[in-house]
Amino acid sequence: MKEIAKVINVSKVYKTGDTTISALNPSSVSFYAGELVLIIGPSGSGKTTLLSILGCVTYPTGGEVYINGTEVSSLPESQLGKIRLENIGFVFQGYNLIAPLNALQNVMLPLELMNVPAKEAKEKAILALKKVTMEDRMKNLPRALSGGQQQRVAIARALVSNPSLILCDEPTASLDPSSVDIVMGELKSLVSANKCVVIVTHDMRLRPYADRIVYVDNGNVLTEEPKSEYAH
Amino acid sequence: MSIFKTALRFIKYDKAKSIGVTSGILISTFLIGQQLGILDYLMALMAAPIDNAKAQIWVADSRTRDANQLAVIDIKKLREVRSVSGVKEAFPLVVSVASATVDKGRTSSITLIGIESPHFNGGPPSDKIIEGRLENLQMDQAICADFFDEKVFEVPIKVGTQMEINGKKAIVAVQTKGVRGFGFGFMYTTIERARYYSNLSPNDLNAILVNVNEGADIDEVVANINATVYGVKAYKTEDLRSSTISTVIGTTGIASSTGTLIIFALIAGFFIIGLTMYSSALDRIKDYGTLKAIGASNNYIRKLILIQAVLFAVIGYMLAFVLLQGFKAGVAGTGLLVNYRLDVLIGIFVVIVTISVIAATFALRRIKGVEPASVFRG
Repeated sequence: MKEIAKVINVSKVYKTGDTTISALNPSSVSFYAGELVLIIGPSGSGKTTLLSILGCVTYPTGGEVYINGTEVSSLPESQLGKIRLENIGFVFQGYNLIAPLNALQNVMLPLELMNVPAKEAKEKAILALKKVTMEDRMKNLPRALSGGQQQRVAIARALVSNPSLILCDEPTASLDPSSVDIVMGELKSLVSANKCVVIVTHDMRLRPYADRIVYVDNGNVLTEEPKSEYAH
Repeated sequence: MSIFKTALRFIKYDKAKSIGVTSGILISTFLIGQQLGILDYLMALMAAPIDNAKAQIWVADSRTRDANQLAVIDIKKLREVRSVSGVKEAFPLVVSVASATVDKGRTSSITLIGIESPHFNGGPPSDKIIEGRLENLQMDQAICADFFDEKVFEVPIKVGTQMEINGKKAIVAVQTKGVRGFGFGFMYTTIERARYYSNLSPNDLNAILVNVNEGADIDEVVANINATVYGVKAYKTEDLRSSTISTVIGTTGIASSTGTLIIFALIAGFFIIGLTMYSSALDRIKDYGTLKAIGASNNYIRKLILIQAVLFAVIGYMLAFVLLQGFKAGVAGTGLLVNYRLDVLIGIFVVIVTISVIAATFALRRIKGVEPASVFRG
């Protein structure tokens, strides 16, 4: 399997005044095309920090981060933006659709940022919305959509630029059970398209969908399940 | 979907804030435009004696700085000026302040202007005469009054209206519309009758209007008059015009009051625009954070905010322009003939766009500080 993302001895330390907090201890882990990986851990364990570093929105304090073979931890923000745009799709807990834009415009946005011609961007965005069965709501503003519908639009936005890595932060936290099945079914379908989907979650309902689970506990990344309440 | 359309959608979505910013721009633009329009009108009034006369050179008492305050000079100066090299023609003008009383109306001060018949050079512009002809001034007791004088005298003024000027009978024989002076309204009559009404001697006049020979250099003729005629000073018309305006502005405080209001309009507009855009940016902070997270550059976000600022400026300016035209039409009936010069309108637009863009820096600074990672914090 092709390696999509890799962190080597990556760590993150936050300093607030005289206080130093180690959010992530030196850890290494790789993510591959065609797998859905759950990152599970208790609140404050460092799983979102790991996701932020993988998503190139947070600089690690130490270690190296590779996205599709490019070492990104030392790149300036201006270049990281381009890396994110071309390689990574994001799905957020709070959906994070741009409120003034309708579903179609939200999905077109990454393509606009990539300077894709408007007509082509629109065609691709409609196709992406069809994949998540939201084409009939494409003219709706986010506020007119339910949580599950918004998350499906967010998934369409994440996949429209054809990124190899989809990072999801608690994508089902605000959804009812039927919406969870729909959203996870769609994320799982991305895996069959050879994408790498990484999901940070507390939601034990997602375990059956996972090809692999990475545990984060007290700032440490573990490949084996720790003895904690996160066990079955 | 262009960034322009995205900016427009941000504006349309946040209606309350957008109305706030647009109102700030509208109020600032309207106040600035209104003040400059009124100032332009007042400046036109200050220069009205000069603009109406349409002469190339004015000759007046050597201490004259303001064409609204002309000292008496002797008629001999007229003959001397006529003899100066380059002078084609020279006409006398009598200008005096008089008291006019209309039957069943009020008493008011007027500026009485005496012009020489039969040519009536220095008289009111012909395009502003709405009833009668200047030749009518040759009739007994004839004067020319303005339509808007009825606001002052509180009775309709028309051809045939009788009044007293300094206690002497006068009859309106010609009527103008919009020929007004700074301070008092203008009334025209023949030079002899003006002297009669004002108790001036037949040898008195207040200014000499000069036109030069074809091909003659006006500056040279001005220099010739100043060199050869003692006790008077010759001005190119535009020089006396600017001297008159600067003298009146400098002595009345009009500039400082207009300037203060404009400065406060700018400051108020700047803060209304800046703080409302800042508040709007705070409301949309999650959206801007998301944009950054999915890969929008700082340059893209900067453009998105600045385009919104420019759009606000354009919309606010256009609405203010409509209001200014409404104000112009509304006050025209009272005789306040406000005019918005094209260069002033363009200048206001540039200023408004500039303050909108500068005010947007409040929002830009806030959004610049948003980390893309903030989107993972709920």
